[in-house]
Amino acid sequence: MNKKATLIILLLTISTGLFAQVRMISGKVIDQKTGVTLPGATVIRNANKEAVSTDASGKYTIYAATGDLLSFSYTGYSTVELTLTADKNTLNAYLDGSVNQLSEVEVTGALGIKRQARELGTSATLISNESLNQGKVLNPLQGLASKVAGLRINMNDATTGKTDQLVQIRLRGSRSFNDAKNNPIYVVDGVPVPDIGRLNPNDIENITVLKGANAAALYGSEGVNGALMITTKKGQRGRGTVNYANTTTFSNVYLLPPAQTQFGQGQNGVYAPTEYESWGPAFDGSTKDLGLKLPNGVQPTALFAAPSKDNRLDMFQTGRTLQNDLSFSGGDENSTYFFSVQNVNIKGVIPGDKSSRTGARFNGSRTFGKLNTSYNVNYISANRNTTPDGPWYSTYVQPANLDLKSLKNWRDPNSAANPLNYYTDATAAKNPFFLMDNNRNTADQQTINGKIQLDYDFTPWFSAIYRIGLYSTSEESRATTNKLASPSGNRNVNGSVNDGSNDFRRINSDLILNFKKDFGKFTNRLLVGQNIRMDDSKLISVGSANLLFPDLFNPGSRAGELDGAASITKYRALGTYFEYTAGYNNYLFFTLTGRNDMVSVLSKENRAYFYPGVSTSFVFTEGIKALKDNRVLSFGKVFASYNKTGNVTLDPYSLNNAYSQINGFPFGGLVGFTPNLTSPNPNIKPEFVKSYEVGTQLGFFNDRLNFEAAYVYSDSDGQIFDAPISSSTGYNTTIVNAGRLTNKIIELTLSGDVLRKDNFRWNLGFNFTHINNKVKTIFGGQEEFRMFRQAYAVVGQSYPLLKVSDYLRDEQGRVVVDSKGNTTTVADSAPLGTMVPPYQMGLSSVIHFKGISIGAQFDARLGGWLYSEVVPRMYTAGTHPATAEYGRQPFIFPNSVVNTGTADQPVYVQNTTVMSKGDKAFWDTQGKVQRNTAAKSDFFKLRELNINYALPKALLAKQKVIREASFGLVGTNLFIVRHKSNTYGDPESLYNQTDGYLSFRQIPPTRMFGFNLNVTF
Amino acid sequence: MKKNIKIFVFAAGLFSLTSCEKFLDVNDNPNGPTEQYLILSARLPGALISTINQETVQINQLAAFWAGYWGTTSEATNKFYKEKTYNGVAIRGTRDGIQIWEGTYNTLLYYQLIKEQAQKENAPFYSGIAKIMQGWHFLHLVDIYNNVPFDEALNRTLYLQPKYEDGKTVYEKSVSLITEGMAEIKGASGDQNPGKADIIFSGDKQLWAKFGNTLKLRALIRQSQANNDAYITAEMDKIKLEGSGFLGLGQHVATKPGYINSKGKMNPFWENNYRGVNAAATNHVDLRPTQYIIDKYKGLDDPRLASLYLSIGGSFKGVLFGNPNVDAQYAAKSTSAFKGPTENDGKPTGLFKSFDQALILMGSFESLFLQAEAANRGWISGSDQTFYEQGIAESFKYMEVAAASFTTYNEQATVKLSGAAPADRLKRIIEQKWLALNSISSLEAWSDYRRLGFPEIPNSLLAPAPTARPLRLMYPESERQTNAVESGKQGNDEVTVGKIWWNK
Repeated sequence: MNKKATLIILLLTISTGLFAQVRMISGKVIDQKTGVTLPGATVIRNANKEAVSTDASGKYTIYAATGDLLSFSYTGYSTVELTLTADKNTLNAYLDGSVNQLSEVEVTGALGIKRQARELGTSATLISNESLNQGKVLNPLQGLASKVAGLRINMNDATTGKTDQLVQIRLRGSRSFNDAKNNPIYVVDGVPVPDIGRLNPNDIENITVLKGANAAALYGSEGVNGALMITTKKGQRGRGTVNYANTTTFSNVYLLPPAQTQFGQGQNGVYAPTEYESWGPAFDGSTKDLGLKLPNGVQPTALFAAPSKDNRLDMFQTGRTLQNDLSFSGGDENSTYFFSVQNVNIKGVIPGDKSSRTGARFNGSRTFGKLNTSYNVNYISANRNTTPDGPWYSTYVQPANLDLKSLKNWRDPNSAANPLNYYTDATAAKNPFFLMDNNRNTADQQTINGKIQLDYDFTPWFSAIYRIGLYSTSEESRATTNKLASPSGNRNVNGSVNDGSNDFRRINSDLILNFKKDFGKFTNRLLVGQNIRMDDSKLISVGSANLLFPDLFNPGSRAGELDGAASITKYRALGTYFEYTAGYNNYLFFTLTGRNDMVSVLSKENRAYFYPGVSTSFVFTEGIKALKDNRVLSFGKVFASYNKTGNVTLDPYSLNNAYSQINGFPFGGLVGFTPNLTSPNPNIKPEFVKSYEVGTQLGFFNDRLNFEAAYVYSDSDGQIFDAPISSSTGYNTTIVNAGRLTNKIIELTLSGDVLRKDNFRWNLGFNFTHINNKVKTIFGGQEEFRMFRQAYAVVGQSYPLLKVSDYLRDEQGRVVVDSKGNTTTVADSAPLGTMVPPYQMGLSSVIHFKGISIGAQFDARLGGWLYSEVVPRMYTAGTHPATAEYGRQPFIFPNSVVNTGTADQPVYVQNTTVMSKGDKAFWDTQGKVQRNTAAKSDFFKLRELNINYALPKALLAKQKVIREASFGLVGTNLFIVRHKSNTYGDPESLYNQTDGYLSFRQIPPTRMFGFNLNVTF
Repeated sequence: MKKNIKIFVFAAGLFSLTSCEKFLDVNDNPNGPTEQYLILSARLPGALISTINQETVQINQLAAFWAGYWGTTSEATNKFYKEKTYNGVAIRGTRDGIQIWEGTYNTLLYYQLIKEQAQKENAPFYSGIAKIMQGWHFLHLVDIYNNVPFDEALNRTLYLQPKYEDGKTVYEKSVSLITEGMAEIKGASGDQNPGKADIIFSGDKQLWAKFGNTLKLRALIRQSQANNDAYITAEMDKIKLEGSGFLGLGQHVATKPGYINSKGKMNPFWENNYRGVNAAATNHVDLRPTQYIIDKYKGLDDPRLASLYLSIGGSFKGVLFGNPNVDAQYAAKSTSAFKGPTENDGKPTGLFKSFDQALILMGSFESLFLQAEAANRGWISGSDQTFYEQGIAESFKYMEVAAASFTTYNEQATVKLSGAAPADRLKRIIEQKWLALNSISSLEAWSDYRRLGFPEIPNSLLAPAPTARPLRLMYPESERQTNAVESGKQGNDEVTVGKIWWNK
């Protein structure tokens, strides 16, 4: 018993045997999750090492005495040890399949080759199908959020994908100043693809996250940011299974930026029926005219009072997502198959927004003697029909008493909601429901992704793989604005249409030769390969901004000229690589890699580059005799690696400056070309990232408690990025090969079963990441560069750094006001801090009890800053609460000072007399002080909650059709705690690939809840 | 078994046996021509249109507010708020600001690249035009931002943080640049003439010389109060020595590239301020003349008034610039909008003639008023009254007022230059210049106001203080972010505090 004095909170079944009498014990070994019995499981009585196996129905019998420890094990399941108590003659053991024995974990390494985790000199994390789908996500990337140390997921730019959100993923921070070029490589069944956002997460067997350049060394440049190795499901030999699942979820917006509810429309304190800005008088409950008289002579009115509820919410509806999945799988001695179809149907939170996705996958394999063939085909058809960013953008600048519900019947020519009668003719504040209906963006996207793989075992020591993959997307898009004729330019809407076609095709081919030879305890493996990549894309758009007829969207029915453009892009790359791994006695490993890349986007002189890598791992619990078979430390490994990776983040055709015709050119026969305003650089070279990693992986108490730690140092130098430069150079940006960024990263993962008793298991997982990145140098000896708006790279600071304009303050930080109570905005921007939270934590809790499982995923990110663009607009429109804080009356700016000295020798004294005006001009200026709209981005949220109930076996045993059935409840973002300074939105949302940046175009974030049903036949 | 090997080898060989070099040679841009494809005549029109568009739309709009020409209707009380409040921080913003700096330097780059190419090709006419136009832009940059980069500007990435030079120095260098440009054009041979690619003067050397001289005169007049007399005299002598004179009657600096009635292809002044393809432009709905300019025209019984604006029930009604109140008497329907052909039986009006009207970069009337002032100051020979009267007549002509009405108008004591006391003659010249430049070259009018303080334009009712007037723009946010040290060295750049060097 003493050996159990441990970290674990509760002990296993405890009892002290009084009678050491041997008796016959029987029971079953059962899968913890599904309740299925496990035939062929091993049961060992530790006292005498006697072992028995379970029979076909999972039953066993064994002789044992009270106090004996029985251990139950089964391949792919974690071993369970139970102590026999005096009162029991039957003992059922519940084994969990989701936890792998550390010593036996197999991961998908680079090139899709299965590797023993023990031989990896780098970090890799395996995410199971169950964990990935806990939140019933639509995009597999979302299912990874907060589950892997060092991996960060953000919702990107809700403007383009309100029903189909884009996701930004970062592994171990950013290595490139070029924000869009920090994505990892996605590899589906060995084939690199540009995007996995529309892959059916249910088709995924597991994802191996290869965290850094070291792990993904064989992918070279593309692997510099790590790799997500996605393995899709395969059929199993034996009886075919059919699985049906349905998930229905509902979503609502939340975290709207607060608005004031004291003052209504007008200017300068005076009511104006045609004004949308809230600079009018205080709400008084009276009925006032709203807008001008309608065509039928009726004067619309409105109650001049803010309702108790937030009217802005009426712009949104409850979104609904329906997922239906059906899969078949099976196989025989020589072949396997897996077939799935999925339909996803989304109704967005903005009325009228909808999208759908139908995907089908067929994975098969067949063996012909020494030739193994496998093939996958995945077809996805995705449609989207959404409104652009107008409605929300218009809603939050309008007064609090505006009854949005009444604005829906805008088609009625006598309605006050009709855009020709709408109370204001301001283009920035149109009827949001009119905008929703009148402006539509649609897109139909077809994706085909497939591969053919041939594996041939020439000899026992030599085999070869040839794999060719195709990824092709074709998107047809259309953006339409319906014509609305009005003689006033403010109300008139020109009919427009823009038809687009976007085709992308990637062909990827790998030839890999594998050599394997063992000499006694020494193992040797050499892999040599070649990769060919061909990316082709073509974009075409045709349109007109002056259509003649309402409801007819064809550029042919236009006045004036046809708008249109086309572009073609080609990218080619050729890589050759090798990996040599030597092992000693299966506990000491050494790996050497090298890769030579040639890419089409650089000049001939610079386009070929080579880079090496080295790594080692040592399983010390096996290599050091004294540690062998230790009851506490059951597995221990240390690893280290170094590699250098060449990387080219340049887009094709960036070496020269291309001219184009703008400003209306050509005018008939008159042409006028102007250059691109990015200064070209024909001498761009590859950038190099050096990456060092050390780490350890420990398993305690037969791997009941697992601990992993890694320390990573990466150094990217000579970065290729588009640097903003002073416009007085003539150009606005320049492509450079400069700048050095280092990352020091600590990753810790702890997971273990807190409670494991009979059929109850509670597993807690915790991961922690600290990213300390520093900009070492930037271009041309400069101290700082602006990357995107308020996001900077500053030497010696974290990247990206938030810098904002601030008030003129005295040395104590008090705001200086002038004799009229006005503040001064200091031109030089004040650095606030990093926009990427340096501390990230994930906490998962999974409880299994009989058929019930409860999974929860918590997430916290701390230490970062964010900036919101929404607030300045709300200040200007007078809808922000700050503008009403002093009742729009003159007030003494809190904690301000006045200068009683001279401009050159200021003497600041506490301001007790100078009143600030508190009118629109004053608050408009305050809104432009960027410090007022920056906040700490700290948050803690319950990201996912899933409660599932599997029907007991006994209940299903009475019939032969349904083998398993379960249903459950699921929710995401159920609660969030934000830093008190952040009233702007979800700190996780980001805009234009920039962390910590909230745009006024983004709609508020959503929270989701729903239920699901799963049946296996 | 053998067959299986063959299948494998065949499949693997398919893609592995490509020629490496050819395979990678796909980086020639198929989407846009690079410099080597583009002859100068395909580039010059792009640069010239870029200049004219920026001057007549973006810069002219801001200055029209600050020169006392424009205000907004009460419905648009919240519009052009940064202009009305002289909010320099908002104007300098990258996000919602007015990017005059960026646009101007980008256009300067277009000329720089043309100039470099022309020097390589020995095409002096092109490099001459590029230099004169660069001079134009640098002078305006100084008029708006005072100290700006000159020598270190436009050197690609050689100077990433170009040094600023004193506004006065940049003025002098710009004038020299124009002089050089004029000489290059003059020296160009017949086969070096750009012809139609010169969308302003169609390769007329004489007109380019006159334009160059007029532009220099404008730069010198601007320094009238700057105690720089020796320099002015020396430069005036150069102009006289050159001998081509200044732009005269009917000689507008304007372009008509072939506008068509299609969105983005119309005359941009028309499209922005009068009519889009289907409806009145937003500006036409929201903008109104100020009551001040209406009163001025009215006071002089000026026939241009009816040609410029619509009457409301027989009289003309303007607005108050920066009025913070939503005042019913200044609502759109109660105030005089800009008049165009639609409101004039299809006939051209003072500012709006047709979607394909010529876009005016500098009117002949401006040149004539510049000459009137120069004559008044004794810098050139000739009578200020002659130039003054010609200027008014040219303005009448441009603003579609019958030539016959000039005499009556000019005979009024309030108009006739000889009717003014000698000390007030300049005031009268500037007043008439202001009335002629109305909405066309508003920056010049704003600069005259900053230089001389007349006409007595009322201040914005939203001005931060009753006496605070816009004197300049702050350095843009983009510049503060990319060239912080240099832009930070230039002293107080607040809109109502920092003065342009010539503004004494």
